[in-house]
Amino acid sequence: MTREAVATAEHEAAATRSGWLLFATVALIAVLPLLPFINNYILSAVVRALVFIALGQAWNIVAGIGGLLSLGHGVFLGIGCYTMGILFNRYGVSPWLGVWAGVALAVAVAAAMGALTLRIRGVFFALATVAVSLALVQLSRHFVDLTGGADGLALRFTGTSFWAAQSRTPAPFLYAGLAVVCMYYWITKRLLASSFGLTMMAVRDDETAAAAAGVAVFRTKMLGLMLSAAMTAFASGLYVQFYMAIDPESAFGLSQAIQLQLPALLGGIGTALGPVVGGAIMIFCSELTNWAGTKAGIEGADLLVYGLILLIVVLRAPQGVVGLFARGSK
Amino acid sequence: MSTPALEVTNIGRRFGGLIALRDVTFSIAEGEIVGLIGPNGAGKSTLFEIIAGNMSPSHGTIRFFGTDLTNTSAHARRRSGLCRTFQKVRLFETMTVEENVRVAASQCLPPARALHDDVASVLRQVNLEHLRHRRPAAITLADRKRVEIARAIAGNCRLLMLDESLSGLTHDEADRLVAEIIDLNKTRGVTVIVVEHVLSVLAAMVQRLIVLHNATVVAEGPPREVANNPVVIEAYLGSQHAALNKGARP
Repeated sequence: MTREAVATAEHEAAATRSGWLLFATVALIAVLPLLPFINNYILSAVVRALVFIALGQAWNIVAGIGGLLSLGHGVFLGIGCYTMGILFNRYGVSPWLGVWAGVALAVAVAAAMGALTLRIRGVFFALATVAVSLALVQLSRHFVDLTGGADGLALRFTGTSFWAAQSRTPAPFLYAGLAVVCMYYWITKRLLASSFGLTMMAVRDDETAAAAAGVAVFRTKMLGLMLSAAMTAFASGLYVQFYMAIDPESAFGLSQAIQLQLPALLGGIGTALGPVVGGAIMIFCSELTNWAGTKAGIEGADLLVYGLILLIVVLRAPQGVVGLFARGSK
Repeated sequence: MSTPALEVTNIGRRFGGLIALRDVTFSIAEGEIVGLIGPNGAGKSTLFEIIAGNMSPSHGTIRFFGTDLTNTSAHARRRSGLCRTFQKVRLFETMTVEENVRVAASQCLPPARALHDDVASVLRQVNLEHLRHRRPAAITLADRKRVEIARAIAGNCRLLMLDESLSGLTHDEADRLVAEIIDLNKTRGVTVIVVEHVLSVLAAMVQRLIVLHNATVVAEGPPREVANNPVVIEAYLGSQHAALNKGARP
Protein backbone atom coordinates (compact mmCIF):
# COMPACT_ATOMS: atom_id res chain seq x y z
CA MET A 1 0.00 0.00 0.00
CA THR A 2 1.29 3.47 -0.82
CA ARG A 3 1.65 6.13 1.86
CA GLU A 4 -1.29 8.01 0.38
CA ALA A 5 -3.50 4.92 0.41
CA VAL A 6 -2.59 4.27 4.04
CA ALA A 7 -3.37 7.88 4.91
CA THR A 8 -6.72 7.68 3.09
CA ALA A 9 -7.60 4.43 4.89
CA GLU A 10 -6.65 5.96 8.26
CA HIS A 11 -8.69 9.04 7.45
CA GLU A 12 -11.74 6.93 6.57
CA ALA A 13 -11.35 4.85 9.74
CA ALA A 14 -11.13 8.03 11.84
CA ALA A 15 -14.22 9.41 10.10
CA THR A 16 -16.14 6.20 10.84
CA ARG A 17 -15.02 6.29 14.50
CA SER A 18 -16.05 9.93 14.93
CA GLY A 19 -19.36 9.18 13.15
CA TRP A 20 -20.15 6.44 15.67
CA LEU A 21 -19.05 8.66 18.55
CA LEU A 22 -21.38 11.42 17.38
CA PHE A 23 -24.26 9.00 16.93
CA ALA A 24 -23.70 7.65 20.46
CA THR A 25 -23.59 11.20 21.88
CA VAL A 26 -26.82 12.17 20.13
CA ALA A 27 -28.49 8.96 21.32
CA LEU A 28 -27.31 9.58 24.89
CA ILE A 29 -28.68 13.13 24.91
CA ALA A 30 -31.95 11.91 23.38
CA VAL A 31 -32.53 9.41 26.21
CA LEU A 32 -31.59 11.85 29.01
CA PRO A 33 -35.22 12.92 29.74
CA LEU A 34 -36.12 9.25 30.18
CA LEU A 35 -33.51 8.57 32.85
CA PRO A 36 -34.89 8.72 36.42
CA PHE A 37 -31.82 10.38 37.98
CA ILE A 38 -31.77 13.28 35.46
CA ASN A 39 -33.70 16.26 36.82
CA ASN A 40 -34.96 19.39 35.07
CA TYR A 41 -31.94 21.39 36.22
CA ILE A 42 -29.59 19.10 34.32
CA LEU A 43 -31.91 19.01 31.31
CA SER A 44 -32.02 22.82 31.30
CA ALA A 45 -28.22 22.97 31.37
CA VAL A 46 -28.10 20.61 28.37
CA VAL A 47 -30.64 22.78 26.53
CA ARG A 48 -28.54 25.86 27.28
CA ALA A 49 -25.54 24.06 25.85
CA LEU A 50 -27.48 23.09 22.72
CA VAL A 51 -28.72 26.67 22.24
CA PHE A 52 -25.20 28.10 22.45
CA ILE A 53 -23.77 25.31 20.31
CA ALA A 54 -26.30 26.17 17.59
CA LEU A 55 -25.53 29.89 17.86
CA GLY A 56 -21.80 29.10 17.79
CA GLN A 57 -22.29 26.90 14.71
CA ALA A 58 -24.03 29.81 12.97
CA TRP A 59 -21.21 32.24 13.85
CA ASN A 60 -18.66 29.68 12.74
CA ILE A 61 -20.06 29.79 9.19
CA VAL A 62 -19.27 33.45 8.65
CA ALA A 63 -16.18 33.78 10.83
CA GLY A 64 -14.62 30.32 10.83
CA ILE A 65 -15.24 29.31 7.24
CA GLY A 66 -15.76 32.72 5.66
CA GLY A 67 -13.12 34.61 7.65
CA LEU A 68 -15.41 37.57 8.38
CA LEU A 69 -14.93 38.64 11.96
CA SER A 70 -18.45 39.43 13.14
CA LEU A 71 -18.05 40.97 16.59
CA GLY A 72 -21.71 41.87 16.85
CA HIS A 73 -23.48 38.71 15.79
CA GLY A 74 -25.98 39.31 18.58
CA VAL A 75 -27.68 41.61 16.05
CA PHE A 76 -29.17 38.59 14.33
CA LEU A 77 -29.97 36.82 17.60
CA GLY A 78 -31.79 39.91 18.85
CA ILE A 79 -33.67 40.47 15.60
CA GLY A 80 -34.85 36.87 15.64
CA CYS A 81 -35.88 36.94 19.30
CA TYR A 82 -37.66 40.30 19.19
CA THR A 83 -39.43 39.54 15.90
CA MET A 84 -40.81 36.29 17.24
CA GLY A 85 -41.68 37.77 20.62
CA ILE A 86 -43.43 40.83 19.23
CA LEU A 87 -45.36 38.85 16.62
CA PHE A 88 -46.50 36.38 19.27
CA ASN A 89 -47.34 38.82 22.06
CA ARG A 90 -49.02 41.51 19.96
CA TYR A 91 -50.49 39.59 17.04
CA GLY A 92 -50.72 36.04 18.29
CA VAL A 93 -48.52 34.71 15.48
CA SER A 94 -47.26 31.22 16.24
CA PRO A 95 -43.47 31.01 16.83
CA TRP A 96 -43.38 28.34 14.12
CA LEU A 97 -44.24 31.13 11.65
CA GLY A 98 -42.61 33.98 13.58
CA VAL A 99 -39.20 32.32 13.38
CA TRP A 100 -39.29 32.62 9.58
CA ALA A 101 -40.17 36.31 9.83
CA GLY A 102 -37.15 36.72 12.13
CA VAL A 103 -34.96 34.84 9.66
CA ALA A 104 -36.16 37.04 6.78
CA LEU A 105 -35.53 40.24 8.73
CA ALA A 106 -32.09 39.09 9.88
CA VAL A 107 -31.14 38.21 6.30
CA ALA A 108 -32.34 41.63 5.12
CA VAL A 109 -30.27 43.39 7.80
CA ALA A 110 -27.25 41.21 6.95
CA ALA A 111 -27.66 42.15 3.28
CA ALA A 112 -27.79 45.84 4.15
CA MET A 113 -24.74 45.59 6.46
CA GLY A 114 -22.90 43.56 3.85
CA ALA A 115 -23.71 45.97 1.03
CA LEU A 116 -22.23 48.82 3.05
CA THR A 117 -19.11 47.12 4.38
CA LEU A 118 -18.10 43.98 2.52
CA ARG A 119 -16.52 45.72 -0.46
CA ILE A 120 -14.05 47.44 1.85
CA ARG A 121 -11.16 45.41 3.18
CA GLY A 122 -9.90 45.52 6.73
CA VAL A 123 -11.74 45.89 9.98
CA PHE A 124 -14.75 47.83 8.65
CA PHE A 125 -17.07 44.86 8.69
CA ALA A 126 -16.13 43.97 12.28
CA LEU A 127 -16.61 47.59 13.36
CA ALA A 128 -19.92 47.83 11.51
CA THR A 129 -21.29 44.80 13.34
CA VAL A 130 -20.32 46.38 16.67
CA ALA A 131 -21.86 49.71 15.64
CA VAL A 132 -25.14 48.08 14.56
CA SER A 133 -25.23 46.09 17.83
CA LEU A 134 -24.83 49.21 19.92
CA ALA A 135 -27.41 51.08 17.84
CA LEU A 136 -29.93 48.26 18.26
CA VAL A 137 -29.37 48.19 22.04
CA GLN A 138 -30.37 51.86 22.13
CA LEU A 139 -33.27 51.43 19.69
CA SER A 140 -34.71 48.51 21.60
CA ARG A 141 -34.50 50.56 24.81
CA HIS A 142 -36.16 53.51 23.12
CA PHE A 143 -39.26 51.84 21.63
CA VAL A 144 -40.68 50.76 24.97
CA ASP A 145 -44.19 49.97 23.68
CA LEU A 146 -42.85 47.57 21.11
CA THR A 147 -39.84 46.00 22.82
CA GLY A 148 -40.49 46.51 26.51
CA GLY A 149 -37.56 48.92 26.71
CA ALA A 150 -34.68 48.18 29.08
CA ASP A 151 -36.83 45.68 31.01
CA GLY A 152 -37.12 43.57 27.91
CA LEU A 153 -39.89 41.51 26.46
CA ALA A 154 -41.43 38.56 28.31
CA LEU A 155 -43.32 36.07 26.18
CA ARG A 156 -46.96 35.58 27.07
CA PHE A 157 -47.10 32.13 28.68
CA THR A 158 -49.98 29.98 27.45
CA GLY A 159 -49.04 26.74 29.18
CA THR A 160 -47.62 23.71 27.45
CA SER A 161 -48.60 24.10 23.82
CA PHE A 162 -47.14 22.87 20.54
CA TRP A 163 -48.73 25.78 18.62
CA ALA A 164 -47.09 28.33 20.96
CA ALA A 165 -43.88 26.24 21.15
CA GLN A 166 -44.03 26.45 24.94
CA SER A 167 -43.51 23.83 27.62
CA ARG A 168 -43.40 23.66 31.39
CA THR A 169 -40.54 21.16 31.18
CA PRO A 170 -37.23 21.45 29.31
CA ALA A 171 -37.49 18.07 27.55
CA PRO A 172 -39.20 19.33 24.34
CA PHE A 173 -36.55 22.05 24.02
CA LEU A 174 -33.86 19.43 24.41
CA TYR A 175 -35.20 17.53 21.39
CA ALA A 176 -35.67 20.75 19.40
CA GLY A 177 -32.15 21.87 20.31
CA LEU A 178 -30.71 18.51 19.41
CA ALA A 179 -32.45 18.64 16.03
CA VAL A 180 -31.13 22.15 15.32
CA VAL A 181 -27.57 21.26 16.35
CA CYS A 182 -27.62 18.09 14.21
CA MET A 183 -29.03 20.05 11.27
CA TYR A 184 -26.37 22.78 11.64
CA TYR A 185 -23.62 20.16 11.95
CA TRP A 186 -24.84 18.58 8.73
CA ILE A 187 -25.03 22.01 7.00
CA THR A 188 -21.46 22.81 8.09
CA LYS A 189 -20.16 19.43 6.90
CA ARG A 190 -21.91 19.85 3.55
CA LEU A 191 -20.62 23.40 3.22
CA LEU A 192 -17.03 22.37 3.95
CA ALA A 193 -17.25 19.69 1.26
CA SER A 194 -18.95 21.91 -1.32
CA SER A 195 -17.56 24.19 -4.01
CA PHE A 196 -19.17 27.16 -2.28
CA GLY A 197 -17.48 26.25 1.00
CA LEU A 198 -14.18 26.01 -0.86
CA THR A 199 -14.68 29.50 -2.31
CA MET A 200 -15.53 30.84 1.17
CA MET A 201 -12.29 29.38 2.50
CA ALA A 202 -10.38 30.79 -0.47
CA VAL A 203 -11.72 34.26 0.33
CA ARG A 204 -10.81 33.74 3.99
CA ASP A 205 -7.25 32.74 3.08
CA ASP A 206 -6.55 35.45 0.49
CA GLU A 207 -9.12 37.70 -1.18
CA THR A 208 -6.86 38.88 -3.98
CA ALA A 209 -5.78 35.36 -4.86
CA ALA A 210 -9.41 34.23 -4.68
CA ALA A 211 -10.45 36.88 -7.20
CA ALA A 212 -7.53 35.81 -9.40
CA ALA A 213 -8.95 32.27 -9.22
CA GLY A 214 -12.31 33.51 -10.50
CA VAL A 215 -14.10 33.78 -7.17
CA ALA A 216 -16.68 36.58 -6.92
CA VAL A 217 -15.38 37.78 -3.55
CA PHE A 218 -18.16 40.19 -2.60
CA ARG A 219 -20.92 37.75 -3.57
CA THR A 220 -19.24 34.92 -1.64
CA LYS A 221 -18.86 37.04 1.50
CA MET A 222 -22.42 38.29 1.22
CA LEU A 223 -23.90 34.80 0.81
CA GLY A 224 -21.83 33.51 3.75
CA LEU A 225 -23.01 36.37 5.94
CA MET A 226 -26.64 35.91 4.94
CA LEU A 227 -26.49 32.16 5.59
CA SER A 228 -24.95 32.75 9.02
CA ALA A 229 -27.51 35.46 9.85
CA ALA A 230 -30.35 33.13 8.83
CA MET A 231 -28.95 30.31 10.98
CA THR A 232 -28.47 32.64 13.97
CA ALA A 233 -32.02 34.01 13.69
CA PHE A 234 -33.43 30.49 13.35
CA ALA A 235 -31.54 29.33 16.45
CA SER A 236 -32.79 32.44 18.25
CA GLY A 237 -36.24 30.86 18.05
CA LEU A 238 -35.01 28.14 20.34
CA TYR A 239 -33.34 30.74 22.57
CA VAL A 240 -36.41 32.92 23.12
CA GLN A 241 -38.86 30.04 23.49
CA PHE A 242 -36.63 28.42 26.09
CA TYR A 243 -35.80 31.55 28.11
CA MET A 244 -39.29 33.08 27.49
CA ALA A 245 -37.81 36.58 27.60
CA ILE A 246 -35.38 38.84 25.85
CA ASP A 247 -33.86 42.20 26.78
CA PRO A 248 -31.61 44.65 24.89
CA GLU A 249 -28.34 43.53 26.53
CA SER A 250 -28.93 39.80 26.21
CA ALA A 251 -30.05 40.30 22.60
CA PHE A 252 -27.70 42.86 21.10
CA GLY A 253 -25.13 43.36 23.88
CA LEU A 254 -21.43 42.76 23.25
CA SER A 255 -21.07 40.29 26.12
CA GLN A 256 -23.73 38.15 24.46
CA ALA A 257 -21.93 38.50 21.13
CA ILE A 258 -18.75 37.21 22.78
CA GLN A 259 -20.65 34.23 24.18
CA LEU A 260 -21.79 33.41 20.63
CA GLN A 261 -18.18 33.28 19.49
CA LEU A 262 -16.84 31.18 22.35
CA PRO A 263 -18.09 27.74 21.23
CA ALA A 264 -16.24 27.95 17.91
CA LEU A 265 -13.17 29.64 19.38
CA LEU A 266 -12.87 27.07 22.17
CA GLY A 267 -13.73 24.01 20.12
CA GLY A 268 -12.03 24.82 16.84
CA ILE A 269 -12.88 27.60 14.44
CA GLY A 270 -13.72 26.64 10.87
CA THR A 271 -14.52 23.02 11.72
CA ALA A 272 -17.90 21.27 11.96
CA LEU A 273 -17.14 19.63 15.30
CA GLY A 274 -15.45 22.63 16.96
CA PRO A 275 -18.55 24.61 18.03
CA VAL A 276 -20.20 21.41 19.31
CA VAL A 277 -17.27 20.55 21.57
CA GLY A 278 -16.65 24.19 22.50
CA GLY A 279 -20.28 24.87 23.39
CA ALA A 280 -20.42 21.80 25.61
CA ILE A 281 -17.21 22.84 27.40
CA MET A 282 -18.47 26.40 27.77
CA ILE A 283 -21.75 25.48 29.45
CA PHE A 284 -20.11 22.79 31.60
CA CYS A 285 -17.57 25.33 32.87
CA SER A 286 -20.32 27.91 33.33
CA GLU A 287 -22.45 25.56 35.43
CA LEU A 288 -19.46 24.38 37.44
CA THR A 289 -18.21 27.88 38.23
CA ASN A 290 -21.72 29.14 39.00
CA TRP A 291 -22.14 26.27 41.46
CA ALA A 292 -18.72 26.87 43.00
CA GLY A 293 -19.27 30.64 42.93
CA THR A 294 -22.58 30.32 44.74
CA LYS A 295 -20.92 28.15 47.41
CA ALA A 296 -18.11 30.68 47.77
CA GLY A 297 -20.42 33.69 47.54
CA ILE A 298 -18.85 35.03 44.33
CA GLU A 299 -21.20 36.07 41.52
CA GLY A 300 -20.31 36.16 37.82
CA ALA A 301 -17.33 33.83 38.19
CA ASP A 302 -18.32 32.16 34.91
CA LEU A 303 -17.25 35.23 32.90
CA LEU A 304 -13.84 35.12 34.56
CA VAL A 305 -13.52 31.45 33.69
CA TYR A 306 -14.60 32.09 30.06
CA GLY A 307 -11.87 34.68 29.76
CA LEU A 308 -9.28 32.40 31.30
CA ILE A 309 -10.20 29.46 29.06
CA LEU A 310 -10.15 31.68 25.99
CA LEU A 311 -6.71 32.98 26.93
CA ILE A 312 -5.38 29.45 27.35
CA VAL A 313 -6.88 28.35 24.02
CA VAL A 314 -5.51 31.34 22.13
CA LEU A 315 -2.04 30.86 23.57
CA ARG A 316 -1.76 27.08 23.71
CA ALA A 317 -4.23 25.72 21.15
CA PRO A 318 -5.20 28.26 18.49
CA GLN A 319 -6.88 25.45 16.52
CA GLY A 320 -9.18 24.80 19.46
CA VAL A 321 -9.79 21.65 21.46
CA VAL A 322 -10.69 19.65 18.35
CA GLY A 323 -7.41 20.70 16.78
CA LEU A 324 -5.53 19.19 19.72
CA PHE A 325 -7.03 15.76 19.17
CA ALA A 326 -7.66 15.59 15.43
CA ARG A 327 -5.22 17.56 13.35
CA GLY A 328 -6.94 18.89 10.25
CA SER A 329 -10.35 17.79 11.42
CA LYS A 330 -13.15 19.40 9.46
CA MET B 1 -5.56 39.22 -39.53
CA SER B 2 -6.95 37.55 -36.42
CA THR B 3 -8.02 39.49 -33.31
CA PRO B 4 -5.13 40.00 -30.88
CA ALA B 5 -5.31 38.13 -27.59
CA LEU B 6 -4.61 41.34 -25.69
CA GLU B 7 -4.75 44.96 -26.80
CA VAL B 8 -3.53 47.60 -24.37
CA THR B 9 -4.39 51.04 -25.73
CA ASN B 10 -3.25 54.36 -24.29
CA ILE B 11 -3.25 53.10 -20.73
CA GLY B 12 -2.30 55.73 -18.20
CA ARG B 13 -2.28 55.75 -14.44
CA ARG B 14 -1.62 58.55 -11.98
CA PHE B 15 -1.11 58.34 -8.23
CA GLY B 16 -1.68 61.94 -7.24
CA GLY B 17 1.18 63.83 -8.86
CA LEU B 18 3.10 60.66 -9.78
CA ILE B 19 2.63 59.28 -13.29
CA ALA B 20 3.01 55.50 -13.02
CA LEU B 21 2.01 54.77 -16.65
CA ARG B 22 1.85 57.14 -19.60
CA ASP B 23 -0.08 56.14 -22.75
CA VAL B 24 1.12 52.55 -22.80
CA THR B 25 0.06 50.81 -25.99
CA PHE B 26 0.90 47.34 -27.29
CA SER B 27 -0.84 44.18 -28.45
CA ILE B 28 -0.13 40.49 -28.11
CA ALA B 29 -1.13 37.87 -30.66
CA GLU B 30 -2.81 34.63 -29.69
CA GLY B 31 -0.27 31.91 -28.87
CA GLU B 32 2.65 34.31 -28.38
CA ILE B 33 5.03 34.28 -25.41
CA VAL B 34 5.97 37.87 -24.63
CA GLY B 35 8.35 39.23 -22.01
CA LEU B 36 7.70 42.47 -20.17
CA ILE B 37 10.89 44.00 -18.79
CA GLY B 38 12.07 47.27 -17.34
CA PRO B 39 13.98 48.72 -14.40
CA ASN B 40 12.40 49.03 -10.96
CA GLY B 41 9.73 51.72 -10.95
CA ALA B 42 9.17 51.49 -14.70
CA GLY B 43 5.50 50.65 -14.19
CA LYS B 44 5.50 46.88 -14.84
CA SER B 45 3.63 45.96 -11.68
CA THR B 46 1.09 48.75 -12.15
CA LEU B 47 0.46 47.62 -15.72
CA PHE B 48 0.17 44.02 -14.57
CA GLU B 49 -2.41 44.93 -11.93
CA ILE B 50 -4.39 47.03 -14.41
CA ILE B 51 -4.51 44.21 -16.96
CA ALA B 52 -5.50 41.72 -14.22
CA GLY B 53 -8.29 44.02 -13.03
CA ASN B 54 -7.00 44.77 -9.55
CA MET B 55 -6.44 48.44 -10.38
CA SER B 56 -8.32 50.85 -12.62
CA PRO B 57 -6.46 52.87 -15.23
CA SER B 58 -6.80 56.66 -15.23
CA HIS B 59 -7.46 56.36 -18.97
CA GLY B 60 -7.11 53.90 -21.83
CA THR B 61 -8.65 50.53 -22.67
CA ILE B 62 -7.88 46.84 -22.23
CA ARG B 63 -9.35 44.52 -24.86
CA PHE B 64 -9.15 40.76 -24.51
CA PHE B 65 -9.82 38.82 -27.73
CA GLY B 66 -11.72 41.87 -28.96
CA THR B 67 -13.86 42.33 -25.82
CA ASP B 68 -13.42 45.50 -23.78
CA LEU B 69 -12.55 44.43 -20.23
CA THR B 70 -11.46 47.84 -18.93
CA ASN B 71 -14.28 48.14 -16.42
CA THR B 72 -14.76 44.49 -15.49
CA SER B 73 -13.75 42.95 -12.16
CA ALA B 74 -10.71 40.74 -11.61
CA HIS B 75 -12.81 37.61 -11.13
CA ALA B 76 -14.81 38.28 -14.32
CA ARG B 77 -11.55 38.63 -16.28
CA ARG B 78 -10.31 35.35 -14.83
CA ARG B 79 -13.52 33.61 -15.81
CA SER B 80 -13.15 34.89 -19.36
CA GLY B 81 -9.68 33.33 -19.49
CA LEU B 82 -7.29 36.10 -18.44
CA CYS B 83 -5.18 34.44 -15.75
CA ARG B 84 -2.29 35.49 -13.54
CA THR B 85 0.24 34.50 -10.92
CA PHE B 86 1.71 36.74 -8.22
CA GLN B 87 5.20 38.09 -7.65
CA LYS B 88 5.10 36.72 -4.10
CA VAL B 89 3.33 33.37 -4.29
CA ARG B 90 -0.20 33.64 -2.89
CA LEU B 91 -1.80 30.27 -2.25
CA PHE B 92 -4.74 29.21 -0.10
CA GLU B 93 -2.62 27.95 2.75
CA THR B 94 -5.32 26.03 4.63
CA MET B 95 -6.17 23.95 1.56
CA THR B 96 -4.41 21.11 -0.18
CA VAL B 97 -2.72 21.55 -3.56
CA GLU B 98 -5.68 19.87 -5.26
CA GLU B 99 -8.19 22.12 -3.47
CA ASN B 100 -6.22 25.20 -4.52
CA VAL B 101 -6.66 24.15 -8.14
CA ARG B 102 -10.27 23.04 -7.61
CA VAL B 103 -11.28 26.52 -6.43
CA ALA B 104 -10.35 28.00 -9.79
CA ALA B 105 -11.69 25.08 -11.82
CA SER B 106 -15.05 25.26 -10.04
CA GLN B 107 -15.40 28.96 -10.93
CA CYS B 108 -13.97 29.04 -14.42
CA LEU B 109 -14.78 25.71 -16.02
CA PRO B 110 -16.96 25.80 -19.14
CA PRO B 111 -20.19 23.86 -18.36
CA ALA B 112 -19.43 21.00 -20.73
CA ARG B 113 -16.22 19.96 -18.97
CA ALA B 114 -15.94 17.79 -15.86
CA LEU B 115 -14.39 19.42 -12.79
CA HIS B 116 -12.50 16.37 -11.61
CA ASP B 117 -11.00 15.67 -15.05
CA ASP B 118 -9.88 19.27 -15.46
CA VAL B 119 -8.19 19.36 -12.04
CA ALA B 120 -6.43 16.04 -12.73
CA SER B 121 -5.31 17.21 -16.16
CA VAL B 122 -3.93 20.50 -14.84
CA LEU B 123 -2.05 18.79 -12.01
CA ARG B 124 -0.59 16.35 -14.52
CA GLN B 125 0.42 19.21 -16.83
CA VAL B 126 2.59 20.85 -14.14
CA ASN B 127 3.82 17.61 -12.56
CA LEU B 128 2.01 18.02 -9.25
CA GLU B 129 -0.06 14.84 -9.15
CA HIS B 130 2.08 13.28 -6.41
CA LEU B 131 1.67 16.35 -4.18
CA ARG B 132 -2.05 16.86 -4.59
CA HIS B 133 -2.94 16.03 -0.98
CA ARG B 134 -0.17 18.17 0.53
CA ARG B 135 -0.69 21.64 1.92
CA PRO B 136 1.35 24.49 0.42
CA ALA B 137 3.44 24.88 3.58
CA ALA B 138 4.79 21.36 3.06
CA ILE B 139 6.15 21.78 -0.47
CA THR B 140 9.16 23.55 -2.04
CA LEU B 141 9.12 27.06 -3.48
CA ALA B 142 9.33 25.69 -7.04
CA ASP B 143 6.30 23.49 -6.40
CA ARG B 144 4.43 26.39 -4.78
CA LYS B 145 5.00 28.33 -7.99
CA ARG B 146 3.73 25.32 -9.96
CA VAL B 147 0.58 25.25 -7.80
CA GLU B 148 0.01 28.91 -8.58
CA ILE B 149 0.41 28.24 -12.30
CA ALA B 150 -1.91 25.21 -12.04
CA ARG B 151 -4.53 27.32 -10.28
CA ALA B 152 -4.12 30.00 -12.94
CA ILE B 153 -4.66 27.65 -15.89
CA ALA B 154 -7.46 25.55 -14.33
CA GLY B 155 -10.86 25.81 -15.90
CA ASN B 156 -10.48 28.28 -18.69
CA CYS B 157 -7.18 30.00 -19.43
CA ARG B 158 -6.43 31.75 -22.70
CA LEU B 159 -3.80 34.21 -21.55
CA LEU B 160 -1.46 33.59 -18.64
CA MET B 161 0.41 36.46 -16.97
CA LEU B 162 3.42 35.28 -14.98
CA ASP B 163 4.85 37.75 -12.48
CA GLU B 164 8.47 36.84 -11.76
CA SER B 165 7.67 33.16 -11.53
CA LEU B 166 11.34 32.22 -11.78
CA SER B 167 12.67 34.41 -9.00
CA GLY B 168 14.10 32.58 -6.03
CA LEU B 169 14.56 29.33 -7.95
CA THR B 170 17.83 27.48 -8.59
CA HIS B 171 19.10 27.28 -12.19
CA ASP B 172 17.79 23.74 -12.59
CA GLU B 173 14.39 24.57 -11.10
CA ALA B 174 14.10 27.65 -13.32
CA ASP B 175 15.04 25.67 -16.43
CA ARG B 176 12.45 22.99 -15.64
CA LEU B 177 9.74 25.61 -15.04
CA VAL B 178 10.62 27.39 -18.30
CA ALA B 179 10.29 24.09 -20.15
CA GLU B 180 6.89 23.55 -18.54
CA ILE B 181 5.72 27.04 -19.47
CA ILE B 182 6.78 26.52 -23.09
CA ASP B 183 5.02 23.15 -23.06
CA LEU B 184 1.90 24.83 -21.66
CA ASN B 185 2.00 27.33 -24.50
CA LYS B 186 2.39 24.59 -27.11
CA THR B 187 -0.02 21.96 -25.79
CA ARG B 188 -2.81 24.21 -24.52
CA GLY B 189 -2.28 27.13 -26.88
CA VAL B 190 -2.12 29.53 -23.94
CA THR B 191 -0.76 32.99 -24.71
CA VAL B 192 1.84 33.98 -22.10
CA ILE B 193 3.11 37.31 -20.75
CA VAL B 194 6.15 37.04 -18.53
CA VAL B 195 7.50 39.71 -16.22
CA GLU B 196 11.01 38.58 -15.38
CA HIS B 197 14.42 39.90 -14.38
CA VAL B 198 16.50 36.88 -15.43
CA LEU B 199 16.97 38.13 -18.97
CA SER B 200 18.87 35.20 -20.38
CA VAL B 201 16.01 32.91 -19.39
CA LEU B 202 13.55 35.28 -21.02
CA ALA B 203 15.59 35.21 -24.24
CA ALA B 204 15.26 31.45 -24.35
CA MET B 205 11.52 31.56 -23.71
CA VAL B 206 9.91 34.58 -25.36
CA GLN B 207 9.34 35.50 -28.97
CA ARG B 208 9.09 39.20 -28.24
CA LEU B 209 10.12 41.65 -25.53
CA ILE B 210 8.32 44.81 -24.47
CA VAL B 211 10.48 47.26 -22.53
CA LEU B 212 8.96 49.74 -20.10
CA HIS B 213 10.95 52.71 -18.88
CA ASN B 214 9.80 55.87 -17.16
CA ALA B 215 6.16 54.77 -17.29
CA THR B 216 6.03 54.14 -21.04
CA VAL B 217 7.02 51.59 -23.68
CA VAL B 218 10.46 52.45 -25.03
CA ALA B 219 11.07 49.41 -27.21
CA GLU B 220 9.52 46.18 -28.37
CA GLY B 221 10.63 43.39 -30.67
CA PRO B 222 12.55 40.11 -30.77
CA PRO B 223 15.02 39.69 -27.85
CA ARG B 224 18.17 40.12 -29.95
CA GLU B 225 16.84 43.29 -31.55
CA VAL B 226 15.83 44.72 -28.18
CA ALA B 227 19.20 43.76 -26.68
CA ASN B 228 20.98 45.94 -29.21
CA ASN B 229 18.64 48.90 -28.88
CA PRO B 230 20.78 51.78 -27.48
CA VAL B 231 17.84 53.25 -25.55
CA VAL B 232 17.20 49.94 -23.84
CA ILE B 233 20.89 49.39 -23.09
CA GLU B 234 21.18 52.79 -21.50
CA ALA B 235 17.91 52.59 -19.60
CA TYR B 236 17.96 49.06 -18.35
CA LEU B 237 20.25 46.37 -19.70
CA GLY B 238 23.71 47.80 -19.09
CA SER B 239 26.10 44.86 -18.92
CA GLN B 240 23.28 42.32 -19.31
CA HIS B 241 22.84 42.93 -23.03
CA ALA B 242 25.71 40.62 -23.88
CA ALA B 243 24.09 37.82 -21.88
CA LEU B 244 20.77 38.46 -23.56
CA ASN B 245 22.43 38.27 -26.98
CA LYS B 246 24.05 34.94 -26.16
CA GLY B 247 20.99 33.55 -24.42
CA ALA B 248 23.24 32.64 -21.49
CA ARG B 249 22.63 33.33 -17.83
CA PRO B 250 24.45 36.54 -16.73
